[in-house]
Amino acid sequence: MLGTLDSDGSGTTITDEQLMAAFSRGSTDAFGGLFSRYKQPLFGFFRRRVVDAALAEELTQETFLAVVRGAANYEPSATFRTYLYAIAFRILRAHRRKSAFRAMFWSQETESREAAVRSTIDTEIWLRDAVNKLDRVDRETLLLREFEQLSYAEIAELMKLPLNTVRSRLFRARGALRELLSAPAGKGVVKDFAAYEERV
Amino acid sequence: MNTIGHSAPEEVMAFLDGELVVAEARLVAAHLEHCAECAALADQFRSTSQMLSRWDVESVPLRLSDAVGSLATSNASDHKSTERKRSFLWRGRSLVMAGGGLAVVALLVSVSFLPVRRRAVSYTFQEPKLVSENNSLAPLLLEDKKKEYQAPALADKAKAKQFDRLDQFARMHEFMGASSHASASAAILSESKNGVLDSARFSVPAPMIARAVSLTLRVKDVSAARSPLDSILARHRGYSAQLNVSAPENGSRSFIASLRIPSTELSAAVGEIKALGRVENESQSGEEVSQQHADLVARLKTARETEERFQAILLQRTGRLSDVLEVEQNIARVRGEIEAMETEQEALEHRVDFASVEVQLTEDYKAQIGLPPDSVSTRMHNAFVTGYHNAAESVVGLVLFIEEFGPPLVLWLVILGLPMVVGWRRYKRARATL
Repeated sequence: MLGTLDSDGSGTTITDEQLMAAFSRGSTDAFGGLFSRYKQPLFGFFRRRVVDAALAEELTQETFLAVVRGAANYEPSATFRTYLYAIAFRILRAHRRKSAFRAMFWSQETESREAAVRSTIDTEIWLRDAVNKLDRVDRETLLLREFEQLSYAEIAELMKLPLNTVRSRLFRARGALRELLSAPAGKGVVKDFAAYEERV
Repeated sequence: MNTIGHSAPEEVMAFLDGELVVAEARLVAAHLEHCAECAALADQFRSTSQMLSRWDVESVPLRLSDAVGSLATSNASDHKSTERKRSFLWRGRSLVMAGGGLAVVALLVSVSFLPVRRRAVSYTFQEPKLVSENNSLAPLLLEDKKKEYQAPALADKAKAKQFDRLDQFARMHEFMGASSHASASAAILSESKNGVLDSARFSVPAPMIARAVSLTLRVKDVSAARSPLDSILARHRGYSAQLNVSAPENGSRSFIASLRIPSTELSAAVGEIKALGRVENESQSGEEVSQQHADLVARLKTARETEERFQAILLQRTGRLSDVLEVEQNIARVRGEIEAMETEQEALEHRVDFASVEVQLTEDYKAQIGLPPDSVSTRMHNAFVTGYHNAAESVVGLVLFIEEFGPPLVLWLVILGLPMVVGWRRYKRARATL
C-alpha cells in the first residue's frame, strides 16, 4: 500500500510540483501523495468520457503508469495538473483512435450503449446524453472547465487552441447544453434507456 | 466591455469562471448589481453548472490503489537498481574500451612487423630477373649468383629449382632466332652449375614491350601548336596515324592526334610534346609481349618446317593423283598459316618498335562576338511554332496516357474505392459517437 506525503514537518502543504520532483528522485511516499490527490479527479475524467467503468479504471491506471515512467524526465515547465491531464488527454485520444479503427474493420459498437446499460442513475444518463450531443471540441472544452476546473489558458494549451477560441467554444457549449437540458426531450432519454434496458 | 450598456455575455461567463483581470472583474461585478438582464444571464450560467455538478461518478475502485501502489514501489526499487546498473555499465564500458585499445595496438604492431618478415623470405629465395632497364641481365644475375654462393645455408633443392628455371629461359630464347642469346643463356646455365660466373661473357635480349602514352595538354592556340608538333615528329622519325581537329561554334577548339614514335625516341619526344602547353593529364603504359612473340616465332618455325617436309614429299615421292593433291592442299594451308603468322609478327614487332602516343591539345576558350541574333519576329514565329508543337504533343501524350492507363485505373478505383468509402464512413461515425 502506498504511503502519502501531503505536508512537510511544519504543516505547510507541499505543492504538486514538489511532490513530483521528490518522486522523480525516488520517493514513493511523494507519489502516494500525488495519487491520493488525483486518483478521483482522473478517474472522473475518464469515467465521464468513456462510460465503461472498467475501461475508465484501466485508462486511469495507464495514465499513472505513464507518470511513473516519465518521472525521470519530468521538468516542471507547467503545473503538474496540466501535465497530468495532458497525459490523460493523450491516452484518451489514443484509445478513441484505436476504437474507431477497430470499428471500421470489425463493425464494433462503441461503448456508449454498453455503458448506458450498466448505468443506473437517470440523471447521469440524462446529462451524459445531453453532453454527448454537443460538438466534440465544445464538449471537451466544457468538461475540462466544469469538472477538471482547468483555466482557459490550460485548456488552450491542452487542446492546442487559441485562448479566444476556447472562450467562445465554452460559451457556445454552455448555451447549447442549457437548451438541451431545459428541453422536454431530456426526459425522453430516460424513457428510451428504460426501453433499451428491457430489450437487452 | 461597454460600461454604459450590457456586458458581453462571454465576459459575464469569464467573470463567473474567474478568468477576468481584477479591473475588468470589478466592472462586470458592478454592472451585474444594477443590470437585471445580465444578472439573469449569470444565473443561467450558474444553473447550468449546478446541473452539471449533479453528474457524479463512483469512487475509484480499491484495486486501482493497490495496482498503482505496487507500480510505484517497483519503480522506486528500479530507480536504485538503475543507478547500480549504470555504474556497472560504465565500468564494463571502460573495460571494453581498454581491451579494444590494446587489441588495436597489438594489431598495429603485428602489421608493422609483417612486411619485414616477408622481405626476409623473398630475399632468401630471390630468383634471377629476366628484365632490366639497360637491356642486360648480367649485373642482376651476377648479383643473385654471388648472393647464392655467399649464402652457405641455401638449400640444394632451391638451387636445383633455379637451375631448372634458367634452363627453360635458355630454351625459350633459342626459339627467338638469336643464337647469341641462346649461347648466353647456356653460358649462364653451365657456369651456374659449375659455380663459376663471368658477367662479361653473356647478355640477354631486352623484353619486348609495346608502350603507349596518352597526353592531354592545354595550349593558347591550337594552330600555333600544330607546326611544332610536326617538327617533333620529323625530328624523331615518327608519324601521325590519325588527326582530328574540332572547332565548335561556341566552344574551345581541340586537336586530337594519334602518333607513332620509335620506342628509342619516346622519352625525348614526349618531353618535347609536353613542353607545348600545360599538361592536364598524362598516362603511360607498357604491355610486355615477349612471351606472345616467342610463341609466335616457335609456331612459325614449326610451320615452316612442316612446309619444307611437304615440299620434300612432293618432290621425292610419287603416288596416286589424289595423294599428290592432298599434299598440295596441305602445303597451301600451311603457307596461308605462315603468312598470317608473319603478318601478326610484323604487327607485334611494329607495336614494340613504335610506341603509340595519343595527344589531345585543347585551346583556352575565348568567347567571340558571334553573328547577330535572329530578328524578333523570326524568334517569335519560331517560339510560336515550337509552342504549337509542344501543345499538340502534350495533348496527344495525355490522350495516349488515358488510353493506356485509364482502364486499369478505373478498374482499381472501383475495386478499392468502395471499401475505402465504406471504411471511411464507419471511421467517421465511430469518431463522432466517441
